Amino acid sequence: MMDYGFQRLVLLNSAGYERAELPLDASVSLVAPNNTGKTSLINALQFLLIIDRRRMDFGSYEVDRSRRFYFPSNSAYILLEVLLPDSGSVVLGCVGKGVSHDYEYFAYRGQLNVDDFRRDDGCLAAQPELLSHLASRGRLAQRFSGTEFTSMVYGNSRRARGDNGDFTVFRLEQARHAEVFQRVLTRTLRLDKLQSKEVKAYLLQIFYRDLSDAGIDFKQEWDKAFSDVNADREQYQAALKQKGQFDQLEALYEERLSLRGKLVYFRPLIDRALEDWQTYYQSRFAELEQARKEIEQADEQLQEDRVAWSGERQRNLQAADAIGREGQRQAELERRFALVDRRETLEQAIAVAREAYEVQVALVAGVQRRKPDEIARQRCRVMKDVQRLEREKASLSGNLYQHLQRELNAEQLDVLNRLFAREVMTLPESGFQISGDQLHRSLEQWLSQPGRLELPGLELQLAGLPEQHRQRSAEEIEQELSDVQCQLVLLDEQLRVAEELQAAEALKRERELDYQQARLDLEAFDVLAGLRASAVEREQSLLAFQSAVAELDVKLGGVQAELRRLREQLDGMRKQQDELEGQHRKICIGRDQRCDGDTVFSYLPDLPQYPWAGRAALPIEQLDVHLGEYQQDCRRLSRLDSEVRGLLVELHAGGLTKFQAAADPDEEIRMMVEFGRHLPQEFEAIERKARTAVVNVTACLRQLRGSLNDFKAKMRQFNLLIGRRRLSDLSVFKIEPEDEQDLVWAIETLISTAEQVDSGESFDLFDHGSVLDDESLGRAKALLIREGDARGGLAVEHLFRLSFIVGKEGQKPEAFADLDGAASNGTVLMAKLVTGLALLHQMQDKRYSVRAACYLDEALALDGPNQTSLIDTAAEFGFALIFASPAPLATVRYCVRITRHGGHNHVSRKNWQELEPIVAGAEV
Amino acid sequence: MTQSVNLDLGLLPSLGELFDAFNAGKHLNRTAEPALWAELESEQKQYQELFGRLGFNLCVDRRGFAWFQFDNASSNVSRTTRQLALLFMLLFEMKADEGMHLHRFADWSIDRSMLAKLFERGHDLLLVEGMDEEALATLLDRACAYGFVETAAGGWRLLSAIWRYLDHFEVLANERADKLEEGIEDDESIETSAEEERA
Repeated sequence: MMDYGFQRLVLLNSAGYERAELPLDASVSLVAPNNTGKTSLINALQFLLIIDRRRMDFGSYEVDRSRRFYFPSNSAYILLEVLLPDSGSVVLGCVGKGVSHDYEYFAYRGQLNVDDFRRDDGCLAAQPELLSHLASRGRLAQRFSGTEFTSMVYGNSRRARGDNGDFTVFRLEQARHAEVFQRVLTRTLRLDKLQSKEVKAYLLQIFYRDLSDAGIDFKQEWDKAFSDVNADREQYQAALKQKGQFDQLEALYEERLSLRGKLVYFRPLIDRALEDWQTYYQSRFAELEQARKEIEQADEQLQEDRVAWSGERQRNLQAADAIGREGQRQAELERRFALVDRRETLEQAIAVAREAYEVQVALVAGVQRRKPDEIARQRCRVMKDVQRLEREKASLSGNLYQHLQRELNAEQLDVLNRLFAREVMTLPESGFQISGDQLHRSLEQWLSQPGRLELPGLELQLAGLPEQHRQRSAEEIEQELSDVQCQLVLLDEQLRVAEELQAAEALKRERELDYQQARLDLEAFDVLAGLRASAVEREQSLLAFQSAVAELDVKLGGVQAELRRLREQLDGMRKQQDELEGQHRKICIGRDQRCDGDTVFSYLPDLPQYPWAGRAALPIEQLDVHLGEYQQDCRRLSRLDSEVRGLLVELHAGGLTKFQAAADPDEEIRMMVEFGRHLPQEFEAIERKARTAVVNVTACLRQLRGSLNDFKAKMRQFNLLIGRRRLSDLSVFKIEPEDEQDLVWAIETLISTAEQVDSGESFDLFDHGSVLDDESLGRAKALLIREGDARGGLAVEHLFRLSFIVGKEGQKPEAFADLDGAASNGTVLMAKLVTGLALLHQMQDKRYSVRAACYLDEALALDGPNQTSLIDTAAEFGFALIFASPAPLATVRYCVRITRHGGHNHVSRKNWQELEPIVAGAEV
Repeated sequence: MTQSVNLDLGLLPSLGELFDAFNAGKHLNRTAEPALWAELESEQKQYQELFGRLGFNLCVDRRGFAWFQFDNASSNVSRTTRQLALLFMLLFEMKADEGMHLHRFADWSIDRSMLAKLFERGHDLLLVEGMDEEALATLLDRACAYGFVETAAGGWRLLSAIWRYLDHFEVLANERADKLEEGIEDDESIETSAEEERA
């Protein structure tokens, strides 16, 4: 047991105690009924030892309420006497400031004498005058702020002001553990409140030296390490998926380079040629014109010749035809006169014919030309007259007229004479019957009107009618009859002659014809003779004509061909002229609309290109073609430029942007094309980068694992520390960190992958594709990221959980997540105590050990051996154990009773009972 | 000492979600749902207290899974449990025969070909349950709903909750091993006594 350390705790006017003195240098049994204020007593230490209000814990009471409780007035004191190695006895104190229930700290060297705080009148000194009061008692006290007090108590490098010495109560191995220490100390003061969850946090804080508390953001680390790789991979993918465009770009790029070279080469040639064109054009034009004229002239000449020859031929043909016809005629005549071989024959025939004809002519001449038909008609008429006259004659004796004459008057007779036809009037008696009276009467009736005849049912006008009959005498009639009969005879004669005349006429004509025919025959015969004579000559002529015609045909045929040739020539000439014109037009247009006006063409020679290896000169007669080509090329170049631009945009949009920083677009394309050609190598490079990235990213994981392993090592040491103790009926008590297997596996997977990569075996192992695609790697990574997301970062604390291994004597050790469920109350308490104290012990600088105190409520729950065990363990760790219970314990050194009177609690020194073990050997 | 519990519901944002899942018989797995698990872990006492007061027994296994322990399960659930037990038993046996470390079950990828092998292996037992290969696949899908299994890459993966089955399985295996040992010992003792007699 150390001598240095807490000696006494004194409360004056605080926490319901008028005065309380508690020994802290050995184990204490604090006895009082429940809810008397045992806990309040020990909790008062927090003001002096925890100091930081945030870390104080008064159970169900808030700190502010506690403040009021502990410092009701400005003469409320919490005092702690500590025996320090360097400074000797030291008093640390806390005094209320009054109505505000605030308080302030002070400290002085010296022993704690309660009377020092009393005034002469027996009342306690109040805060305002405290220091002076103490000074009057020979205590040089100093005030401290909370921070200063903390520094002092925990021995920070910043020394407390004043030269009162070193008031360090707790010297920690690591100053930064002060917070943890305070927390644990708080818990330890109230042991039963120590929670398993907190143990893990405390352990980590104590043992986890190297890194800060913040966990690693694995996702961030991964992203950072892989950002390059991912970016490269994206570019690679962009290139891969746009392979088609790449190929296209390359092709266009190449084409553009050659085209540029070509244009650069041709441009000056074109320029020069254009200059020369005009001259060329004009001279060529004249040439062609001249040639054309000559041809036209030749053509004309030929046309004329042809006409002439045609005419001649025609004539010759006609002549030949004529001869032909003569020949035919001769043949005809030959046939006709086949039987006549002498002219005299024909002459005779003529004479005969003439004679006959002349006879007939004479015959006919004397005859009156009168048609027989006419005469016949006349005869008929005369015959009729004869008949009439004969009738008249016959009826002379008594015809109707005579009868009527006898019966009727002259007027009536006249009327009838006008009415009846002549023939009626001359009817013989056999032809009529007359009743004179009746007739007379009827006529009177009918002829009532002069000049009119009124028949029943018919009226006639007679005025215009002529007389029909005149009664003549027989002699008259006889005379006329004989005349007529004579006439008749004459007419018969004439008729006969006339009929005969016709035949004579006909004969005359016939004979005339014969005569003429005979004459003709003679002529024809003469003709034949002539023809015969000229036959040979004719033959010759015919031949001549025919040959001439043939010649002319040849000539004419030739003309045709020649004309055609000339035409063709002419056409050719014209075509050439048109061509020339066309060329000229094209060139003029081309000259005016040169497609190389764009600025890009002016600095074309400066752009990267392939030099053109081609002809040296530009033949001027093909200038139009070349100019056209040139313009096409210029346009193509412009199109290429825009196509290339378009492709670039596409490729950019598709994600290939790594070359955009190039100096100029050409450079960018060149690099892109190169890139596209070397995609497999790029893939390899990315793979390598990825593997490096994996290695990099696992660096932080390694760190994490390393920290975990470090922690585990520390825990092993810690367990040794706590395992040395005998804890009531526990044979085994360990706090084991158990891996969170899934996380640790994930980390191991990634690390081992990285190691494989490092060792260089990598490339064969990843035979199933890129390291980035490895399935378990992916799972591991995903797991770590998700855990990181869920917990706001990956830290060592996530990699394990604490298991409290508790093994009762004679039983198998069991693992518990939570200590409270692990064992009986006593055992649990033990375990907690040990854990807490061990933690505190761990943090303290072993070279500077100052005994402190810790508190255990409901100590009666423990049996005697347990209590002793606890006391010993606490002592080993440098703590005096204070038990609180309604009844006193026998295992402690001090037994202190809380008494109550006057409404206040009291713990008087006088009431301390020191116990000493009966058995001498059982020294604690 | 009476325990008064202060419940800060603000610290339990996923209370509803967790309750729904647990009440439906689903297991919560750390690896599958890390965010929910983190929350459960950080306020485990609160959750257990709250659910406990409501009559639900929340069991949390530190290997990374949690569930409500129901004593009277519906017949449907029992049947499913039974069938799953059969399936997993076959699986564990098969893997053990292959020399695989059973504790690494989370690494196994279960696909159709494996189901075929399982079916072949436990043909008779499965037929008794009226299960064919297709039914095995359906069963695994249902196991997803209970949080024993998750779908992954054309198949399934076992989740931490499978430890419940594996623990049982290992207990049974050990019992069997013990029985075997006893059997051998008996045989040995008979043999030694026989030898002694001969001697």
